Amino acid sequence: MSEALAAVETAGTDISVPAASGAHRFWRRLRTQRAALVAAAVVALLVLAALAAPLLTALEGQDPTTYHPTLIDSARGGVPIGSFGGASADHWLGVEPQTGRDMFARLVYGARVSLGVSLGATLVQVVLGVAMGVAAGLGNRWIDLILSRITDIFISMPLMIMALALLAIVPDSFPRPVLVALIISLVSGWSTTAKMVRAQTLALRNLDYVSASRLSGWSTSRTAVRELLPGLAAPVITYAALLIPQNISAEAALSFLGVGVKPPTPSWGQMLTSADVWYQAAPQYLLLPALALFVTVFAMTVLGDGVRVALDPRAASRLRIGTGRKRESRAEKAAQAPNAAAAKAAQVPDAAVVKKEGRA
Amino acid sequence: MRQPSVIARRVAAASVSLVMAAGAAACGPKDNDAKGSGGDSTPRKGGTLTVLNSEPQADFDPARLYTSGGGNVPSLVFRTLTTRNRENGAAGSEVVPDLATDTGRPNKDATVWTYTLKKGLEFEDGTPITSADVKYGIERSFAPELSGGAPYLRDWLVGAAGYQGPYKDEKGLSSIETPDARTIVFHLNKPEGEFPYLATQTQFTPVPKSKDTGTKYESHPVSSGPYKVVRNENDGEHLVLERNPNWSAATDTERKAYPETIDVRSGLDSSVINQRLSASQGADAAAVTTDTNLGPAELARVGGDKALAARVGTGHFGYTNYIAFNPTVKPFDDPRVRQAIAYAIDRSSVVNAAGGSALAEPATTFLPNQKSFGYTPYDPFPAGKAGDPAKARELLKQAGHGNGLTITLTHSNDKNFETSPEIATALQDALKKAGITVRLQGLEDNDYRDKTHSVKTEPGFFLAHWGADWPSGGPFLAPIFDGRQIVKDGANFNTGLLNDKSVNDEIDAINKLTDLDAAAKRWGALDKKIGDKALVVPLFHPVYKRLYGKDVKNIVISDWTGVLDISQVAVK
Repeated sequence: MSEALAAVETAGTDISVPAASGAHRFWRRLRTQRAALVAAAVVALLVLAALAAPLLTALEGQDPTTYHPTLIDSARGGVPIGSFGGASADHWLGVEPQTGRDMFARLVYGARVSLGVSLGATLVQVVLGVAMGVAAGLGNRWIDLILSRITDIFISMPLMIMALALLAIVPDSFPRPVLVALIISLVSGWSTTAKMVRAQTLALRNLDYVSASRLSGWSTSRTAVRELLPGLAAPVITYAALLIPQNISAEAALSFLGVGVKPPTPSWGQMLTSADVWYQAAPQYLLLPALALFVTVFAMTVLGDGVRVALDPRAASRLRIGTGRKRESRAEKAAQAPNAAAAKAAQVPDAAVVKKEGRA
Repeated sequence: MRQPSVIARRVAAASVSLVMAAGAAACGPKDNDAKGSGGDSTPRKGGTLTVLNSEPQADFDPARLYTSGGGNVPSLVFRTLTTRNRENGAAGSEVVPDLATDTGRPNKDATVWTYTLKKGLEFEDGTPITSADVKYGIERSFAPELSGGAPYLRDWLVGAAGYQGPYKDEKGLSSIETPDARTIVFHLNKPEGEFPYLATQTQFTPVPKSKDTGTKYESHPVSSGPYKVVRNENDGEHLVLERNPNWSAATDTERKAYPETIDVRSGLDSSVINQRLSASQGADAAAVTTDTNLGPAELARVGGDKALAARVGTGHFGYTNYIAFNPTVKPFDDPRVRQAIAYAIDRSSVVNAAGGSALAEPATTFLPNQKSFGYTPYDPFPAGKAGDPAKARELLKQAGHGNGLTITLTHSNDKNFETSPEIATALQDALKKAGITVRLQGLEDNDYRDKTHSVKTEPGFFLAHWGADWPSGGPFLAPIFDGRQIVKDGANFNTGLLNDKSVNDEIDAINKLTDLDAAAKRWGALDKKIGDKALVVPLFHPVYKRLYGKDVKNIVISDWTGVLDISQVAVK
């Protein structure tokens, strides 16, 4: 309670962390990057489509698991009948070979898994990485040594082999998407985040304002929360933005190897697995999930890069917006100009008065 | 497979997949025209035949090979007492004499079998082949260091159970007699009317004792067939066979041996094999494969190309994919639940999942749909093409599951289109219509095999498949339904845990028959009787489609192997 009060107090008085103006400046810098804006719109659309999957498929009148044996040519290996994978008014993106399941429904439901798993994994990676990195950076020699070695061990772990091993021993009843997200985040990503955060913490801890907070008797945890985390926000957010596409690819890879989500739940990676042999006979079966994956990863990467630029003052200086000082000074001038005129105007009568007075 | 040991059963299980791989290699024109393709179809001698395979010819020693009917590549080098008939279709599932003058002369109760060798038989070095060489070849297959063959000989021959092979026990097996250089007599534990089928396996190949180099023999086995091994690299990955001048066509009516050289290249990816065969360029124009068939996607592409479609052969092999129940697990102890599932399944969507109507035929019988197995059509729970969910709901209601039922289907995560997730999800979708909610339990393939073949861990409802070592009802039904073959600790294949005295007695009675046609009929009747118990639900029999190069002629595919027989192929 007292700490919360103190936090509120400091928030009010601490001028070094102008939260509102920081977000404002971030948005101003992001806004000027057209590619990042487009990417953000694409990501927003994808998330919306994933969230609204049941609505979208209801609109189409299909679902992702029902078989349509009449729409495929059984004698020819189950290839969809008709051009572009049997695309029609009923099946907007055609049907899946061998089953006749609706491709559009499977794609939008697959987005739920691919995006959900990757975002969840990123969250775990960031929380774990920051906690470990800050603890290592602020702790004593032994804590640093132990935590850094643990991090090194995880960095050197091969993701795919670990995932295969873990998936084999976890009971079948454990929800698969959660498990996949946990595996991706535990065996990759968090450790590099931790290393980066530790290095940043070591750099920050010797700065005067952090030393001051320590010298003034603040506890380590309070110093970490109040003084270090704001300074870590920019690099961590940047890193997280780059982790997301990496995690999407990891989920796809795990599903591609057959250890991702369980059928009949679709995921893009899983669709790619079953589609890889169909690239000649039914190319759209491979191209649709591949395209979805490509667009998502590309949009996430561009957005991540935009976020990085917006948060990095040095990179931002290359943007056309500059620091905003020019405009400020212009505005200042503009604001000063009428005053000056008024002053002049005021001066003139005064002078006149003086003159008049003088004359008088 | 009479009372095999635990290890023997494991080997047998492995063999099913090996045989499967061999069986997956089917080739030949759709009309089963033995003359082959092209305008000038007369096969001539000469040329080099290239074989593009995924599995290497590992352990190329007749003692160590596990084959059905003597195998395909092995059969070019190793002759056996009997062999499979090299003819298209059903005629190809018959046993015919090879080294012997006939398929064997049994005594009255089929416990003693006598064979006489043909005259003028020679090894590749010109020395004559004697009955002692055949006996020695069988004996060395008992040596622990030369393991790998089928378990039957150890189970069937008198006094063979503990035999350790001629390296340790020079006296040999007294149950194999060689009264003279051309006669060999086998004494069996019990009546085995199907002994002639067993005598097609490579363990019945003559091996000259003076040339035996033990485990090194596989690098240059002494040939009795039309070709000899001139090169064997990386344990059978690259095998070069050349004509054996001491093989005489006069003593061998089965092998044609047209090409001069046969170049077997293995370790290739199946998609690479099919891509090379469809391009058919350079040496690949005279290429075939004996272990790779077309997948559904490849079939879809080939189907759109007339020139390619003309180079696709169709083969059948005795094989059944089915649903297995464990009746000790609830709710599958109730026959009505098992029957409801049998009614609810949609065989057409299962067939599509397995690759479509060209690669799978819907099955209602456990025995493969071939005469040699004793195929007797029956369908105790007619589900029609797409299932009968109404009938299934009715049965479930009677069984007290009127509000629906939730069950778990165990399957393998292997991408084999047999026990794989594709088949499982097709079943899941069909059972949904009957109010049955199916949860899928996918297991890693080894784990899956261990779990389903152990009495202690066997799930209640899972996907299974079975193939026989030879085209007869015996090796198909006995391991799965003979109550005396339930193995408590070890690999068990009687997954329905059926121990019915009338079934066991009938199996014994049929084994006494030496008239294989009469035996086949009774196997068929027994299959129907067991089918009524709904311990298994047959799903489909696979069909194999095989591409071959554009210069390949004289295509023969028997129902025994389902594979293009390379002893018949010509490339000129």
